[in-house]
Amino acid sequence: MGLDFVGQGAAETDGNIITTTIDKVVNWGRKNSLWPMPFGTACCAIEMMATLASKFDLSRFGSEAIRFSPRQSDLLIVSGRISIKMMPVLKRIYDQMPDPKWVISMGACASCGGVFDTYTLIQGVDQFIPVDVYIPGCPPRPEDLIDAVLQVQQKITSGASPKGVESVYE
Amino acid sequence: MSEENQVEEEPKPLVLEKLEANHADALLAQDESRGTVVVVIHKAQAYAVLEYLKTDPELAYTFLVDVTAVDNSQMESELMQFDYARFMVVYQLYSYQGQGRLRVKVPVHENDLSIPSVTGLWQGANWLERETYDMFGINFDGHPDLRRILMPDDFDGHPLRKDYPLRGRGERERFNFDKQNV
Ligand code: SF4
Repeated sequence: MGLDFVGQGAAETDGNIITTTIDKVVNWGRKNSLWPMPFGTACCAIEMMATLASKFDLSRFGSEAIRFSPRQSDLLIVSGRISIKMMPVLKRIYDQMPDPKWVISMGACASCGGVFDTYTLIQGVDQFIPVDVYIPGCPPRPEDLIDAVLQVQQKITSGASPKGVESVYE
Repeated sequence: MSEENQVEEEPKPLVLEKLEANHADALLAQDESRGTVVVVIHKAQAYAVLEYLKTDPELAYTFLVDVTAVDNSQMESELMQFDYARFMVVYQLYSYQGQGRLRVKVPVHENDLSIPSVTGLWQGANWLERETYDMFGINFDGHPDLRRILMPDDFDGHPLRKDYPLRGRGERERFNFDKQNV
């Protein structure tokens, strides 16, 4: 399950008691139940939907509880082109998510504007919100998104702070 | 052999016949493009002609498919053709009475960017004209709500004009989060 034991109580107590630290238990819980806030604005969102559906099944990794309210989520998946009119909305949604929160920038467009080097497109959402994991590809395959979620999980297990919330574990 | 090569003269489309009979002075040019009749109309009579096209029982172009514009400022020959009119407002019409498609073009000069709104004829023109205003800066007189529809309200300029730089004028790097009503 990914919960590291700190003490060695297992042998002495027939495995009925384990000792660990609060941080580890909390992180273990967080990691296995990330609630994503989908921000799908273009074709990448189609792959995100496929990731969530039965064939790829993101719920195997505990992240199937998609919330359409940012106040109930801790993982923002930006999948698609973000225009200059949409960016303030995205920023507002990010701000509404409770800490700690993680951000995945999915696809070339969200990460750097992709092929749309035009007047209306944000050339990378990381100019305005902190991004934890970038996914390359146009569009990335669902496996790539799953991999990104696993990377976020790894980050949580390691105790590292999310990009945007540097002080949360201090 | 020679008879076989001869192309049979198509009968003149009804819409051209009727326009020539009723609005000959408004008709600047006529053309045909891949089976669609194209007519260029003088701006002063644009509303009257469009109204005629819609209400005439035989023509009955009741469906306004699209309203858009073309910036010809980088096509000298096009500009010359209609007395240096930079823009061409394009109405795409469809008739269910068997007349099919019709494209109506109206030259608009840069120094007078207003043209009558056709929202009174086709309700659907509302958002189409807003888009044309947003992208080209054409002012539709009598439009009930002529605001930008695609770009943010505080956007400067009209991005589909040929003199608008593709990468913009720095809008995508600097914009005000507070100013926009989120
Ligand atoms: S990266 Fe490709 S697939 Fe994804 S939103 Fe951009 S164009 Fe669409």
